[in-house]
Amino acid sequence: MTAPLLSVSDLRTSFFTSRGEVQAVRGVSFELRPGEILGIVGESGSGKSITCMSLLGLLKSNGRVIGGSALFEGQDLLTLDDRDLRRLRGDEIGMIFQDPMTSLNPTLTVGEQVIETILRHRRISRAAARQRAIELFELVRIPSAAKRLRSYPHEFSGGMRQRVMIAIALSCDPKLLIADEPTTALDVTIQRQVLALLKELQSRLGMAVILITHDLGVIAETADRVLVMYGGMVMEEAPVRRIFARPSHPYTRGLLASIPDLRDGAHQRLTPIPGSPPDMRHPPAGCPFAPRCTHAMAQCANVLPPVYDVEPGHGSRCWLHHPEAPRVEGVNDRELA
Amino acid sequence: MTGYVMQRLVLMLVTLLAIITLTFFLMHAVPGGPFVSDKMMAPEIQAAINAKYHLDDPVWLQYLNYLKGIASFDLGPSFKYAGMSVNEIIAEGLPTTLKVGVLALICVVSLGVPLGIVAALNRNRWPDTLVMVVATIGVAVPSYVIATVALYLFALRLGWVPTFGLDDWRGYFLPVFALSGFWISFIARLARSSLLETLQQDYMITAKAKGLKPGQILFKHGLRNSLIPVVTVLGPVVANLITGSFVIEQIFALPGIGRHFVLSITNRDYTAIMGITIFYAAVLMVMIFIVDMLYLVLDPRIKYREAR
Repeated sequence: MTAPLLSVSDLRTSFFTSRGEVQAVRGVSFELRPGEILGIVGESGSGKSITCMSLLGLLKSNGRVIGGSALFEGQDLLTLDDRDLRRLRGDEIGMIFQDPMTSLNPTLTVGEQVIETILRHRRISRAAARQRAIELFELVRIPSAAKRLRSYPHEFSGGMRQRVMIAIALSCDPKLLIADEPTTALDVTIQRQVLALLKELQSRLGMAVILITHDLGVIAETADRVLVMYGGMVMEEAPVRRIFARPSHPYTRGLLASIPDLRDGAHQRLTPIPGSPPDMRHPPAGCPFAPRCTHAMAQCANVLPPVYDVEPGHGSRCWLHHPEAPRVEGVNDRELA
Repeated sequence: MTGYVMQRLVLMLVTLLAIITLTFFLMHAVPGGPFVSDKMMAPEIQAAINAKYHLDDPVWLQYLNYLKGIASFDLGPSFKYAGMSVNEIIAEGLPTTLKVGVLALICVVSLGVPLGIVAALNRNRWPDTLVMVVATIGVAVPSYVIATVALYLFALRLGWVPTFGLDDWRGYFLPVFALSGFWISFIARLARSSLLETLQQDYMITAKAKGLKPGQILFKHGLRNSLIPVVTVLGPVVANLITGSFVIEQIFALPGIGRHFVLSITNRDYTAIMGITIFYAAVLMVMIFIVDMLYLVLDPRIKYREAR
């Protein structure tokens, strides 16, 4: 197995507000190998975006990383000084955001927004940077690339703007691309095009991708491996096939059950997970999902379960995987066999 | 675009005509007249004066005659200052008012905007608090209070500057300060809130994620977007500053046009009221037009098309 490109361990991030400390990320660990697509899935407030913003030092001013490490090619992103981190951002690590409507500066041409990124990180002439921008636009399939460089963001559709964002993120051949809900704000048909483009570019350029989404469909189509986050923690981690074939954490199972299945017929009701996510100002001492979990036991609310290896490469943070736990069909019924 | 500009110019003329008409008839609706004063005049003299200035003509005829004069840029003779035309009054006062006004404008832009930026970048820290406290005082305290206190302190007590007049270059300090104080504060507050809003925008995070340096992020991505509201306000501010201030000109005894603006009303100096109103209206409209044109430079999303 190759050495990991990024190795995050026990990342903790909090926001300090007038109403107290919000513990957004509470000890997240994961590894990312070169060329791998890691999907991070979870509902709003689960800490998935904050995890990535913490890595790049893009937290709002009241947010602070309070612990952990994130080794990117051997250097810890969390202790890097501002100057060195700025050199990495946009160069080795590219990032694209959820809303392409607001992520581009409305008063600069899209060409300029690509070119300035290249000029920031490469010692080349403006003309060469422009040439590179045209190539990038062609790469992300923006028609009549050279002409479109002079357009402003408002002259583009949402899908085209997200292509511009991708071009910016890829402008310096990053080793890692972080895509934070890249298709959430787009029409369904455009979503597919953008995802297909991302996947194609990933395999062509060989970069690693962290894909943050709340859409399991996106994960299924794109990711190699999946982290399921809840309450600022990783609940389950597994290769993408395993997550869909044998989800081991009750939360993951709940997420999968809540996806409407068209084969069930039109009148089938959706299966929601009852309850609401925990208040991260006062996170529960035990498993954050316990209050909503149908299998919760007495100790779940009080003691945080460790991550059990259900199988090599498949971890699940749930007491049900404890050898003495009661058997629950589909979760741990085969473990003792 | 050329069509749009032409349309705007025509519209400005129409607006001006409306202002002239409204002012003219409002003015004549107010009881009294330029020569109805405290001392009694012989009826013959009164009649002669009225005849000389066509004040005994029907109002509509006076109106038409006035418009005729305007068409040839003649604002007519002053009723109060014998032998002076309104054109001359404006020409005489304007240079002084302009000098003070332009200096004040320079202060407003070169102090107000940077102070707002410093405050925004240090949000909730001491530079922000300091700027905001001073700016709040600057907005709240009327200019004549600032002028009087400054006059007492710097001219009378410390003797650093003369108490009145502009013969000495130091004479400019206090009037410019008193005139610009309010607007510096106003612009500083506006620039601060506008920049703070811009800093919250998603594209600022994008700029950061691209690895740009803080200076690049602020000046290239932040400032331009946050200056749009500031420019909007600056148009009327310019008009306000270069048409002078009655209070400031009165306190510092400056021979500008600002005081004519007020004095002409108490004097019922019909032509002077009209002339100065038209002058102010024209300056204001030109400034607003310039602001609208500046939007094109600042914000590419704005495009003007002529109405059909």
